[in-house]
Amino acid sequence: MITAAPWVCRSCAWSLRRASASQFMRRASTGGLPPALLARARKVAAEHDQLSAQLEANYDPKVARRAGEISRVATALNVFEKTKASLAELDGLLNSDDAELRDLARDDIESATAELTEVGRQLSVALTPKHPFAHMPCLLEVRPGPGGLEGRLFADAVFSMYKTYCENMGYRARVVKYETADEEGMGRTGGELALQEAVLEVQDEGAYGLFRGEAGVHRVQRIPVTEKTGRVHTSVAVVWVLPSFPTDGTEAESDWENPESDFYIDPAEVRTETMRARGAGGQHVNKTESAIRLTHIPTGTTVSMQDSRSQSTNRKWAWMLLRSRIAQQRREVREEHARSIRKGLILNNSRGDKIRTYNYQQDRCTDHRSGQDFHNLTNVLEGGEVFGKVIKSAESWLVERDIQEILADEEEVVPSGNKKNGGK
Amino acid sequence: MPRLPPSLFWRAHQISPHAPNLLLACRDLPSTALELRWIKDHITTTPSTTTPPFLRLAHLIRLRARGLPLQYVLGTQPFGTLTIRCRRGVLIPRPETESYTLELADVLFRTPTRSLTVVDLCTGTGCIPLQLFASLRARFPSLAAHGVDVAPGAVALARENARQLGPLGAAQGVTFHRASIFSPAAGLPPFPAGEIDLLTANPPYISRGAFARSTARSVRNHEPRLALVPDGVPASVVAALGCEAFPEDVFYARILELCRGWRPKRVFLEVADGEQAGRVFL
Ligand SMILES: C[S@@+](CC[C@H](N)C(=O)[O-])C[C@H]1O[C@@H](n2cnc3c(N)ncnc32)[C@H](O)[C@@H]1O
Repeated sequence: MITAAPWVCRSCAWSLRRASASQFMRRASTGGLPPALLARARKVAAEHDQLSAQLEANYDPKVARRAGEISRVATALNVFEKTKASLAELDGLLNSDDAELRDLARDDIESATAELTEVGRQLSVALTPKHPFAHMPCLLEVRPGPGGLEGRLFADAVFSMYKTYCENMGYRARVVKYETADEEGMGRTGGELALQEAVLEVQDEGAYGLFRGEAGVHRVQRIPVTEKTGRVHTSVAVVWVLPSFPTDGTEAESDWENPESDFYIDPAEVRTETMRARGAGGQHVNKTESAIRLTHIPTGTTVSMQDSRSQSTNRKWAWMLLRSRIAQQRREVREEHARSIRKGLILNNSRGDKIRTYNYQQDRCTDHRSGQDFHNLTNVLEGGEVFGKVIKSAESWLVERDIQEILADEEEVVPSGNKKNGGK
Repeated sequence: MPRLPPSLFWRAHQISPHAPNLLLACRDLPSTALELRWIKDHITTTPSTTTPPFLRLAHLIRLRARGLPLQYVLGTQPFGTLTIRCRRGVLIPRPETESYTLELADVLFRTPTRSLTVVDLCTGTGCIPLQLFASLRARFPSLAAHGVDVAPGAVALARENARQLGPLGAAQGVTFHRASIFSPAAGLPPFPAGEIDLLTANPPYISRGAFARSTARSVRNHEPRLALVPDGVPASVVAALGCEAFPEDVFYARILELCRGWRPKRVFLEVADGEQAGRVFL
């Protein structure tokens, strides 16, 4: 059985799965790519050829769409086969009688092997179905974990890390919600506020795909500014990544009204409350906040919003956030279900597990899934280029995980006897 | 009002050097942070050619720190789809009023006619008839909204607010009248019985005692008493309307009297609480 994540080496992640000698032997003939994956690629490429032929005879937009979807697999397979063929040629030259040729081949064989690995990786990525929300903008939601002031302060640091990262990258981001808590504690908090909940909307298309690896528990290890004895504390902040819609809204609205869509919410199932201070209201008080709270009754999901002076705007943003949360929940339920029926694949990505640690004393940020350490924590927390690398490492890990999942699906199909003796 | 602990001011200072001043009016850090953001937003969205931003910020914060309601400081209050102008001397629209006005618009939207008449008594900024008009004008080819107020400042402000509906709203649909509702027909042109589809009013409804006891300080100190406490009505009128025991109900008695002549299809009145509702409606 495989061990749970983290995978240590990213470029050859699959070799960790059942890394038995027999499998290595088998891989030699497939250019390092698991045979199941290669077989699948060939099947898809064959389908692509057949569809192309069909389209030439008779154009049908539906068929064209499917052909378009799988064309990148066909292209990647083509490149892969060519690279493999030239490697085989080099291999052949190693047995040549000509010493000079043999030397030349030996020089080239290393780079050709590396290229094949990379091309193989691209092929696996092409085979991995795109996450259905990947092309969408997203909402990044940050909340403190259980515990006191320190967790809230760290949540604030995490939120501003994402905000400045988006600024640095030139993404179109705006703060939808930024709610601080009125917490008793010391005055010196190093510029961090006690965060209750904050939401950043990243409006660029594809932002969901870029940030989805950020979802999970982020842990901090540091001496809180409020700590007098100098003891290191551990606290956590939780990040959610939710799908959102482009602001122009046309796609959004058609999707909101379609009961089949993940974003559909029956208004009759939502309770709306306008929150006010207790006691007399109306003419007696003239508060400036006009907070709104929505509760999705079937799931108990609540959203509160008070960032705008306008009640209508708060309502609009609350609905947006509610739709995004519900859509994400629905998607997760389906993914969990799919995963639980996949035998033998244990994946450590449930919300409860920490995905990352920020250690101030050691000036280090560790991504627990990719297993990578990054130094220069200041740059990470300022959303600088090191943080870009951290995000990248999580993203690549997710891609690898997706590949693992199709692999698992493929192997399910192979008869078990074949699997055991497979290879030689 | 309880004194705020010094540590709170120090923490406010961490947000911004301006925040401790704001804290005096806002009383807690979360609202202080929010208001600071709104004041800054206001400055960036309404650029001034004469005063540099930092001076405007300092000035607005000073006004707010003195307890002046934010809506008077910034000059506006969002209301439904509108941005209602606010000025000293005219009551600031409340979120409760906003909520039911939008609900009322929804109900009226389903009226199966082509024309519609709405009347709002004690209209203040004009927020109620203006929002009704804005929500319904696309639905009703012939739509008339009237607002009545006794305060000249309120009527002037309501007319200013009508301009954001464009020439159409200002010119034909919405009309504001300066009159007391205790004058004959509340100063309105004669309506045949049944002509009015909806009559609304958010009249002054706070008793003298409650004004002293249960209104917020910034309401008491900065909003017009005329808009809140109905104690300027002559004793003889109060007696004639049978309101000696509860003089704070006198506007409702007068409005219901007007309704007996107009026979509006629907009436919606804002009241202080369940007790007042019981006295007025039962
Ligand atoms: C509570 S305010 C309501 C304002 C506005 N309708 C709102 O909801 O924001 C009451 C208004 O009644 C007006 N008012 C007071 N006495 C009046 C009277 N006798 N006739 C007409 N209006 C009067 C005041 O000037 C004030 O604008």
